Amino acid sequence: MSDELWFEQLAAAHEADEVLAPSCLKSRLYSRLIVEQEKTGPLLSLKETQGLCVYEKLIEILPVEQAMVQSFQYCKVCHSRVAGENIENAPIYWANCPYCEFQNR
Amino acid sequence: MRGIGGGYATLRVGALIKLHTIGTETDLDLARAVLRRDRKASADFVQLYSDPVYRYVRFRLQPRYESVDDLVQEVFLTAWKSLAKYEGTSPLRVWILGIARHKVQDHYRNVLRNVQFPDEADDWKSDDLPLETLIASRQSGQHVQQVLALLPEDYRTVLLWRYWEKRSAEMIATEIGRTAKAVERLLARARQKFREEWLRKEAGQ
Repeated sequence: MSDELWFEQLAAAHEADEVLAPSCLKSRLYSRLIVEQEKTGPLLSLKETQGLCVYEKLIEILPVEQAMVQSFQYCKVCHSRVAGENIENAPIYWANCPYCEFQNR
Repeated sequence: MRGIGGGYATLRVGALIKLHTIGTETDLDLARAVLRRDRKASADFVQLYSDPVYRYVRFRLQPRYESVDDLVQEVFLTAWKSLAKYEGTSPLRVWILGIARHKVQDHYRNVLRNVQFPDEADDWKSDDLPLETLIASRQSGQHVQQVLALLPEDYRTVLLWRYWEKRSAEMIATEIGRTAKAVERLLARARQKFREEWLRKEAGQ
């Protein structure tokens, strides 16, 4: 067997392990992605967004129609984001919270 | 996963449904939802693709794990900036892994551009090691990552680029502004070092 063939077979047989991305990394990726999205325009209004968390739902039902209020990313001021970005398997359990869903549990 | 407007799926991510099993039409719906700056779709985008991208980048950058998070973040930001070009002709997972592949190759290029390549006049000669015996080892899977981690960075990088990324010596040479012969010489030394470390590790167990 040639050198080349052996290494080709070795590489084909051994790929990456089935590791999961750390939840802190997922949280930071999401936060950064939203920041980048906001640079190019407002986020989709809460009224047009499905799967709101309890805090977003409270804002969404307020009798306030200003685009700024409906498009604000409320995760920025939420403890779940802070916990999610800094603690692996953070003890956060809100329904429809991305930072909860990023936890590998 | 949520249903959005036309709905990119009706299943939640928590149900451990992988998007690549749902189909490219759904991928296109997800891409469009992210482009509308739908915050929940963006979360699903991260949730669905961070694991495969992280896994791929982590293996390719081993053992320099400190660079992995930054590179994964670069992949996602590039994906966001390029998402409007995604036409759904391939699964979104394949598309984003393509971006990751480019980022990894940029990293490899930076590593190999600054290394001292073996001189043609070197009187180095490869040992004739028993390759069949090595690959037949039942423990080979456990050893690959450990042995790669033991190699000097230039050796590890050129092996990963050539055999795991399946780039020819000519292509690598073009990327880093060297000759194919110079890359071949580096590859020969890297292969030899890999086999030596492999045998040393097996002998130690």
